Amino acid sequence: MSMRVLSFLKQWRGTAKEAFENVSIVAKFLCLLHVTDRYIISTTHVHGPSMLPTLNLTGDVILAEHLSHRFGKIGLGDVVLVRSPRDPNRMVTKRILGLEGDRLTFSADPLVGDASVSVLVPKGHVWIQGDNLYASTDSRHFGPIPYSLIEGKALLRVWPPEYFGSLR
Amino acid sequence: MTPTLHPSGNVLLAERISKRYQKPSRGDIVVIRSPENPNKTPIKRVVGIEGDCISFVIDPVTSDIYQTIVVPKGHVFVQGDYTHNSRDSRNFGPVPYGLIQGRVLWRV
Repeated sequence: MSMRVLSFLKQWRGTAKEAFENVSIVAKFLCLLHVTDRYIISTTHVHGPSMLPTLNLTGDVILAEHLSHRFGKIGLGDVVLVRSPRDPNRMVTKRILGLEGDRLTFSADPLVGDASVSVLVPKGHVWIQGDNLYASTDSRHFGPIPYSLIEGKALLRVWPPEYFGSLR
Repeated sequence: MTPTLHPSGNVLLAERISKRYQKPSRGDIVVIRSPENPNKTPIKRVVGIEGDCISFVIDPVTSDIYQTIVVPKGHVFVQGDYTHNSRDSRNFGPVPYGLIQGRVLWRV
């Protein structure tokens, strides 16, 4: 009885080896995909009114790269993806309007009046602001954010197709 | 971080999984990315979590002036164990969760 089981298993040995090799190819591909998506370049779905008119209200898919912030190549005017200082599970998309050492003057509440506030961006921090000043929670509310919270820089928009191209 | 950590160098094991699923608690030793210099990753202890009211002496070497702050939502207050020679939240303020890189488990 056990002889029949053994010969049965031996027949499947070749197939099992092939299956294992194919599965390992798929696993390696998934690992490469994950590393690329997380650390090199990825697509991100962004939505919300805070970056109008640059980004649409109903949602865009943009291509974002995750290499520049590690080499310090993030500059003024870049649209970046940052981890929200208020909620670590949320990523927000804003524009950098001030680097460390810059002095910025902004209107404390654009809906109410013209009272302006002047701040100096401390060392190791950046000032982020949404393009739509009236509907954006940004550094005017929670202050300058540490540079390390930046996780990616937006390159171009890929969806919807009629708005394909760079974000200006 | 004397006396917990040896001043001339330690090798520690830090895990990065728990920061995704739960918030750090008081007393944890965490590796953070410094808000002053993004290339540095100091190791400090979490002394206060969001909502805590922390009273601390601003500069124990020169004076006795106290300051009291409330840790805002989404932030933690970190402090080095050797308060006389530590740049921590008493200097750069509470640190957002996003800057926590991992939690130290044990010394290797």
